[in-house]
Amino acid sequence: MLQQRLIDALGADAVKTSPEDMSVYAFDAYSQGRNPSAVVLPADVRDVSAAVKIARECREPIVARGAGTGLCGGAVPIEGGVVIAFARMHRLLELDVRRRRARVQPGLINLDLSRAVAEMRLFYAPDPSSQKASTIGGNIATNAGGPHCLSYGTTVNHVLGLEIVDENGEVFTTSIDDAGYDLTAALVGSEGTLGIVTAAWVRLMRLPESVRVWVVAFGEIEAASEAVSAIVAAGIVPSALEMMDAVITAAVEEAFHAGYPTDAAAVLLIESAGLEDDMNAYEAAIKHIVEAHGAISWRSARTQAERDALWAGRKGAAGATGRISPNYYTQDVCVPRSKLPAALRAVEEAAGAHRLVVGNVFHAGDGNLHPLLMYDRRDARQVAAVIETGNAILQSAIDLGGTISGEHGIGYEKRDAMTRVYSTDDLATMARVRDVFDPQRVLNPEKIFPRGARCPEVKPPTLVQ
Amino acid sequence: MHALSALLARCNAERRSLAIVGGDTLRAMLLPPATESVLLSTASLARIVEHCAADLTVAVQAGVTVRALAQTLGAAKQFVPLDAPHADRATVGGTLAAGWLGPRRHRYGRPRDLVIGSVAVLADGTIAAAGGMVVKNVAGYDMSRLYAGSFGTLAVLAQINLKTLPLPQRQRAFLARLPEGTRERAAAALAALAAPPAAAFWIDGFQSAVDGDEGDDGRLVVLIDASDAALERSTLDLRSALGRAGVPETRIVDAGAREAFERTVDACVATLGERSITYRLPEGDVPPPRNAVAALELARAHALRGEAIVDVMNGDAFVRVSDLDARALGTKIEAFDDALHAREPHARVVAGEHPIRNDLAVFGAPPPAIAQMRALKARFDPHAILNRGRFVGGI
Ligand SMILES: Cc1cc2nc3c(=O)[nH]c(=O)nc-3n(C[C@H](O)[C@H](O)[C@H](O)COP(=O)(O)OP(=O)(O)OC[C@H]3O[C@@H](n4cnc5c(N)ncnc54)[C@H](O)[C@@H]3O)c2cc1C
Repeated sequence: MLQQRLIDALGADAVKTSPEDMSVYAFDAYSQGRNPSAVVLPADVRDVSAAVKIARECREPIVARGAGTGLCGGAVPIEGGVVIAFARMHRLLELDVRRRRARVQPGLINLDLSRAVAEMRLFYAPDPSSQKASTIGGNIATNAGGPHCLSYGTTVNHVLGLEIVDENGEVFTTSIDDAGYDLTAALVGSEGTLGIVTAAWVRLMRLPESVRVWVVAFGEIEAASEAVSAIVAAGIVPSALEMMDAVITAAVEEAFHAGYPTDAAAVLLIESAGLEDDMNAYEAAIKHIVEAHGAISWRSARTQAERDALWAGRKGAAGATGRISPNYYTQDVCVPRSKLPAALRAVEEAAGAHRLVVGNVFHAGDGNLHPLLMYDRRDARQVAAVIETGNAILQSAIDLGGTISGEHGIGYEKRDAMTRVYSTDDLATMARVRDVFDPQRVLNPEKIFPRGARCPEVKPPTLVQ
Repeated sequence: MHALSALLARCNAERRSLAIVGGDTLRAMLLPPATESVLLSTASLARIVEHCAADLTVAVQAGVTVRALAQTLGAAKQFVPLDAPHADRATVGGTLAAGWLGPRRHRYGRPRDLVIGSVAVLADGTIAAAGGMVVKNVAGYDMSRLYAGSFGTLAVLAQINLKTLPLPQRQRAFLARLPEGTRERAAAALAALAAPPAAAFWIDGFQSAVDGDEGDDGRLVVLIDASDAALERSTLDLRSALGRAGVPETRIVDAGAREAFERTVDACVATLGERSITYRLPEGDVPPPRNAVAALELARAHALRGEAIVDVMNGDAFVRVSDLDARALGTKIEAFDDALHAREPHARVVAGEHPIRNDLAVFGAPPPAIAQMRALKARFDPHAILNRGRFVGGI
């Protein structure tokens, strides 16, 4: 019934119904849910609208999906339902070079946008490490960050307007120029629970005149994290300030030969972008600080090719980790930047207590940690250890005044942890927004908001990789 | 904060409407309060809660003035580019609630882009926090941004947490005359610079309010935020670009650069008592400022005096129309308002005294998602006690 109606409305090639085809859509990069009742691949906003209407009439929940690279179960159909996947809506619709803005379909892959505008010397600033695969729609829904968000801000700062299909299949638009409430900002980061993004106006930026990239090695991870805090405290905001520990650099070098030293406990990847005139002063100031914190080596990337290799290594770190461990779980927490050393100590202690190997690769300048906990899912002890360690890291971030997700989102994974950072009143206030946009809770149900009054525990990573 | 919560709960129970006031500097961006309203001032919420200099974050109560925040942060060589008019009186809460955009946003982001958390008090007295003191946070909806620009109609902002930025080492202002024929080229030259200025205004009129002597020409006020290392190059680039655009001479102001910039920002909402109305035109082409030129022509066609401050880097403009005689303005302004909105549906009133303003399309065209906005209002403030009827579409 549901499937047939969808086929009638969208065409057979736009609807997937076989269990094998649909099983691909039961996953994201974090976990697995149930097979959906149907998967649709709309070609335009009318298809989306039609699919939502049919799903509603058949009383099926609706889950929007980009590339499925999410790390919190956000795109996973927990209760089944209709998955709306945006793989076919991947076009750059309009480009306004003078005003530096572009209108895009949600399925456009992040990196494809920057590539498409590069010859105009423009780029799209939010650059999640998954940018080769993840979509602008998914980035908007999660308010994705990335290495360069340190200086340019996260996705929400780059979205100028949205076209949304609401829970009834009706279309509305928002723009930051509109009078009234900033609905654009409310919709960004709402993880598909308030509406489905079918198009977006995004801001483009001019490529900087000059870019320098430095790799700094440290003999101890503690010293590296203190150096990061000191750089920030000195009022220096580079365009990116990333950190990798020895576990990660070893994996990255083995996979990519990117140019990182493998004899260091930790390395910082630092980028400054801007005026050529500023670069020497930046370099001197940063060098001074890292040397005062015991840096053991300092290297400037001399060519564009060297810079690209370093960045490719950094952005491929998760993939490289997949080669050294059968499975890994990515935690995502954010702490005040002066608390970085303490947060890393807590990670080390938690992993050590559970005898897990941990690799750290993260947006250090923002205080946004990503410990990768390595395990083998066939071993129940290790699975249990990962869950406990992930939980302990979450708690230590909260204790340090931080938050339970810096960029990956709450999704299904962390919904119950929301009560650890927000009061009932805080959550009820957010729920008022949900009441307006999705009163029946049909858009991506089981996400963000905690289950009833259950004890808040992080759900087990239901096995990926 | 708890007193505020109790007060709101009581007013809510009694269905009493409240007019919320910060520094009262952007009052004209809203419709006037219903006469029976109780005035609620955020002046007593004047504490800087926590400045974590090493984290580049700060938490302030809503009633802290923009100046007080700037002074605290300045002592640690930091700032937040709120750039609101009348910084001595304007409050941080009011600046955000009114959705003030700031002329340096093309460089540093809008004020709301730097908000990382908030505490709001809802109409029923609920105290609701969102975000926190970290610079990246995707736990839950971005409530703080929803309150930004809501003019207090959803909740009263009690505390705001902000990301701070390192203060530029140097600020330098440039003043120049801008003869007819050089404007568009000058604007284009500024926008194309590798080191774009932090702010640039092309000003037509506003004689007493802004620096520089202009005669019949317009003026240019440019602010550069630079490091020691880049200041001379930025200066050179700017002057030669303007020279090529035909701008006769640019005067450098080092001491007092900040003040020259602030006077221009203040002028954006400067009124001539009941004799003027000021509109903000939305961002148009960057550059040149055709939208402002057209609005000035329109003013002339309606026998009104028109003056403009064009934000060259962002493409929006503040246009003040006036008449020496308040009554004459009253008779002409409605026709002008209609004509302007036919051209610029998103033009909004930002300054002007009662009573003339009240009959105008203060908010411009109704937003396409007005139904969703009304539903939000109803869900947050069902008895409409917060700034009742003062916002767009009767909200
Ligand atoms: C190796 C790796 C590295 C990563 N690095 C980063 C990083 O640096 N920064 C970062 O922020 N994240 C990172 N992520 C996480 C992930 O890539 C981001 O969350 C990304 O934004 C998800 O995009 P997607 O297209 O894959 O969305 P999906 O995973 O398909 O969906 C994510 C969420 O968005 C919703 N959604 C998708 N499309 C729409 C739409 N059109 N309308 C409404 N809702 C929609 C889904 O329902 C779901 O809740 C990384 C992930 C991996 C695997």
